[in-house]
Amino acid sequence: MQQITLLLTSLPDGILLGFVYGVAAMGLTLIWGVMNVINLAHGPIIALGMFGTFFLFIRLGINPYLGLVPIAIAGLLLGVVIYFTAVHRVINAPHLSSLLATFSVNMIIIGLATAALTTSPYNVDFSLGGFKLGSATILGTRLVAALIAILVTGALYLFLYRTRPGKFIRAVTNNRAAAELMGVPSTRILALSFGLGTMLAAVSGALIATFFPFNILSGGGYELKSFVIGVLGGLGNPIGALIGGLILGVLEGIIPTFMETSWVPVIEFGLFVVILLVRPKGLFGAKK
Amino acid sequence: MPILEINDVSSGYGEVQILWGSSLALEQGKLTCLVGGNGVGKTTLLRTVMGLLRPWNGTIAFQGQNVSRMPAFTKAEMGLVMVPEGRQLFTDMSVYENLEMGASNKRATPKLKDNLERVYAMFPRLKERQAQKAGTLSGGEQQMLAVARGIMADPVVLMIDELSLGLAPVLILSLFESLKALRELGITILLVEQNVQMALAISDYGYVLAEGKVELQGPARELIRNEHVREAYLGL
Repeated sequence: MQQITLLLTSLPDGILLGFVYGVAAMGLTLIWGVMNVINLAHGPIIALGMFGTFFLFIRLGINPYLGLVPIAIAGLLLGVVIYFTAVHRVINAPHLSSLLATFSVNMIIIGLATAALTTSPYNVDFSLGGFKLGSATILGTRLVAALIAILVTGALYLFLYRTRPGKFIRAVTNNRAAAELMGVPSTRILALSFGLGTMLAAVSGALIATFFPFNILSGGGYELKSFVIGVLGGLGNPIGALIGGLILGVLEGIIPTFMETSWVPVIEFGLFVVILLVRPKGLFGAKK
Repeated sequence: MPILEINDVSSGYGEVQILWGSSLALEQGKLTCLVGGNGVGKTTLLRTVMGLLRPWNGTIAFQGQNVSRMPAFTKAEMGLVMVPEGRQLFTDMSVYENLEMGASNKRATPKLKDNLERVYAMFPRLKERQAQKAGTLSGGEQQMLAVARGIMADPVVLMIDELSLGLAPVLILSLFESLKALRELGITILLVEQNVQMALAISDYGYVLAEGKVELQGPARELIRNEHVREAYLGL
């Protein structure tokens, strides 16, 4: 009985968080799916998104949700810059080259940010209050973050399936050479995809910062979660990533009711390995 | 003046040279074929002309302009379009989306509607299947879609690599008929084929490629009577 109460307390929180994980994962899997590059700078970019919220809110007094707009734009531009400086020249090289390239970007961001911001925790003191739902307390910030995550997913889906640049991204994902032959400037599309991927990472970080303390290293954990979600939900499919995030969130809500919270990552990554062994294409039949 | 002039082009992959100075010239509005056995460099030549491979040597001129170093998407925008070997469709996208992607270049986009009507009239089967994923089509339908996607790009010159590969004879005949229809519309066509007899039968002019070089060329109806061609390629 006590466990059920505990479950009802922690499950809603996990679910709401899961949506935000989904947005982070979309950023990773979009890049991975389109250009077969694993962006190891994903975590630090999530952390930069967190600092974006911090500086816009604490220093400039901008509402964290309004602040998402400049953070998204900055994330997009940063991604395009990273693509052309670090990724483009190794795009056709073996995987190890692009891994090293994005890992270098990862180290550069962490190094610079550690020097400028140290690694002590930052906190965005922002609250929307909360309300009781049975035995659980739902925090306003998490509820709004989850709603924004759903909106972002819907917008990304419409972008990929209803607009020309979105369809170009899907065409390049499917067959880059054929897209180029039909007149699609594939290099520009790859840069745009990378920019969108980092934009999603930055936005998820900006949302997470409204309820968790953070430093420049905090993105790492979400980067790893993004990998798990990518395997759960498949590559390059926003809805799959959202569902994957939700599954992870539910797990994080359930696990603490019958074992120590410190077991959560053990179970998550155990699941990751099992899925890779049993269904390497992902739970929902991703194509790569 | 030829509309597409390939002059002494050499290229290859890495260290391996495949083309050893090939020259071709396409006359406007004509159907030209490039035939030859497997592995003589036909596909390499097309890839080099499109810019998917860099020419090591020689020049490519399209409508009098040197396009040797231009990327493929710029050439598509100018009207030099290729239907690649093995179809290379966007298999996860619908038939309609594939056609829409065919019209991605700036010149073709405003003509999307007209060209769509044209290809649906030419291949009614594609219209029936427009909402279906391209990867679920049969081999023949996929080849139709590959050609139709090329037409959607509103080509001035359309280069088709191995149109007949892996298709039943009935289908090959009907696809070849549609090439004649395209020629009627004024599109210049370069057909690359291993099916030498059928290619020469519908073409105006032919080139025979061997070991990375043009071995023979001439009006198609003369080539088909040529002793060497009959012996080496037609098995007569």
